[in-house]
Amino acid sequence: MANPLTLVIPLREDIDLGVLQAGLAELLPNIGAAMEAVGTVHYSRVALLDHSSPNLQPKPGGTGPFSFMVITSYDGDFDVYIQDFVTHLGQIYDALLSFSADGAGIVPVAEHVEEFTAYLTANDLSAQPPSNGFPFYNAYPYTVQQVLANAPS
Amino acid sequence: MTLDYADVQGTILQGYRVDHARHFVLRVVDEAAARALLGSLVDPASGLPQITTAARWTIKPPYFLNIGFTSAGLAVLGQPLDGFPRAFRRGAADGATAQLVGDVGASAPAHWVDGFADAHLILSLWVHRDLGVLEQVSATLRAAWAGALEELAAQDANALPDNKVHFGYTDNISQPTVQGAPPSKRPLPDRQPVAPTGEFLLGYPNQNDGAVYGVTPPQLSTNSSFAAFRLLEQDVAGFEAWLASAAAQADIDPELLAAKVCGRWRTGVPLVLCPDIGTPDPPLAPERINDFDYVSSDPALDDTFGYKCPIGAHMRRTNPRGAQVIAGGSLHRIIRRAMPYGPPYDPASPDAAPRGLVGWFINADIANAFELIMSKWVNESTFVKSVRGPAGANPVKNISGQDVLLGVNDPATSSFTLSKPPNLELTGFGPFVTTRGGAYCYLPSITALRFISAQDHTRR
Repeated sequence: MANPLTLVIPLREDIDLGVLQAGLAELLPNIGAAMEAVGTVHYSRVALLDHSSPNLQPKPGGTGPFSFMVITSYDGDFDVYIQDFVTHLGQIYDALLSFSADGAGIVPVAEHVEEFTAYLTANDLSAQPPSNGFPFYNAYPYTVQQVLANAPS
Repeated sequence: MTLDYADVQGTILQGYRVDHARHFVLRVVDEAAARALLGSLVDPASGLPQITTAARWTIKPPYFLNIGFTSAGLAVLGQPLDGFPRAFRRGAADGATAQLVGDVGASAPAHWVDGFADAHLILSLWVHRDLGVLEQVSATLRAAWAGALEELAAQDANALPDNKVHFGYTDNISQPTVQGAPPSKRPLPDRQPVAPTGEFLLGYPNQNDGAVYGVTPPQLSTNSSFAAFRLLEQDVAGFEAWLASAAAQADIDPELLAAKVCGRWRTGVPLVLCPDIGTPDPPLAPERINDFDYVSSDPALDDTFGYKCPIGAHMRRTNPRGAQVIAGGSLHRIIRRAMPYGPPYDPASPDAAPRGLVGWFINADIANAFELIMSKWVNESTFVKSVRGPAGANPVKNISGQDVLLGVNDPATSSFTLSKPPNLELTGFGPFVTTRGGAYCYLPSITALRFISAQDHTRR
């Protein structure tokens, strides 16, 4: 049975959208391989929010402040696998948190594993009220590896 | 890298190769007197037995002595715990810990041997062969700690012949090779990466891009470590009875089933190298007994799908080596310093006397080693990564249930997959191990022990 992660990383108010997008363009292509190495993530997507936009949708010339979202469905317990998560995704999160308004102090995350775990929990909408009381739908009761093992070749 | 062996408790970096142990479970009753006592254990001028370090000796000492502190023990001695890892602060007897590692039902802390749930210190004394030395040093220590510490329990352990454990398996074969540790006197090649020093000692680079595990204040950090202390009762009669009945169901020899649930024959010979016989002729060379992996580019040696050693075998679960698993097979190693306790089991006259295994399971990060292994690898079966093979073969399909030897194993749900096509699932067994005591301990460096003993918190 998968669990949800709906992570919101508020970004520094002085962050320039162009700089941010250039940074993300370097990072985001690496996420897929890292998720595959972790092996517990069913789906993952990222999104950028502009809080100066009425519907939060960033538009050219948007002034922010911005937030970055990471949304995944994953198997098992986040805490127990946190070191493995750091091993594969630590450098990506180091870069993301360097843009953040509230997480730069725990970079590198490999040196602040417990603080990083606490940060993820505190900034995970799905782990905090009221969203943690909202339904999370699973279409199937299988792990990522069970799905991969039984998928047609 | 040069380590200051004289600052590291010996049991972390070397096996003592001894036949007897006594583990004292202790509680501080007088803080100042306890600090003074602890200081005297790292002060040769005190005349008391001294904490054994990893410094090399020329003549084997008559005894070995090491110590661990629970979080309650550190707290009662005035040490702030906010600079210590969460798992250690939580402790072994905590309800969340118990749920995580499978100490539930009869294994729950509420049923442990009196003393463990209230432990402040665990002091372990080992002797080579002379039980007189064990009693003599015990008497000296007991006299020394009178008024400072209360002895809540004392658990003896005695090696069985040929390094056997009560379930009949040969033990003490596989241990991590730690960078910078004294070389083993009996090295066994194992095809596994050398573990960075920081995986077993605070203050050194660990396997995570050179990050460092540590605690604060810094005087307590470098050369210290952590461990789970475990008292595990083994139901040998129940295990043997299950082997007989399940082997009949599977139509295989009980000794082969014993090998399948462990990963080695009871002789110590690994299934991957000798899948059909535990006493090969000619015998397996001693240096080859640990020289294997579960995956290989050589089809003759590869066992990706667990047809030789089942994916759910005890030692493949607890140390998957190069096999594809969630969290990485070689990244969660534990140094085991455990020994049998209780009388040898005589199959000719089965009895229910308490017997099992007691000792230390060491790693610098309890959460990433002991807790991950127990929660994900021993007590679940979803940690295996998909590897596609011919005709739909996949290791994910060849594991079920929990570790037969160590898992919770409720008979209503227990399951073990014998993975030689077609799979056969054996069910309705166990549990064969019951946790009778436990403690998460900080293993201080000698510097740290002196620092703790010198802190006079009553004068703050």
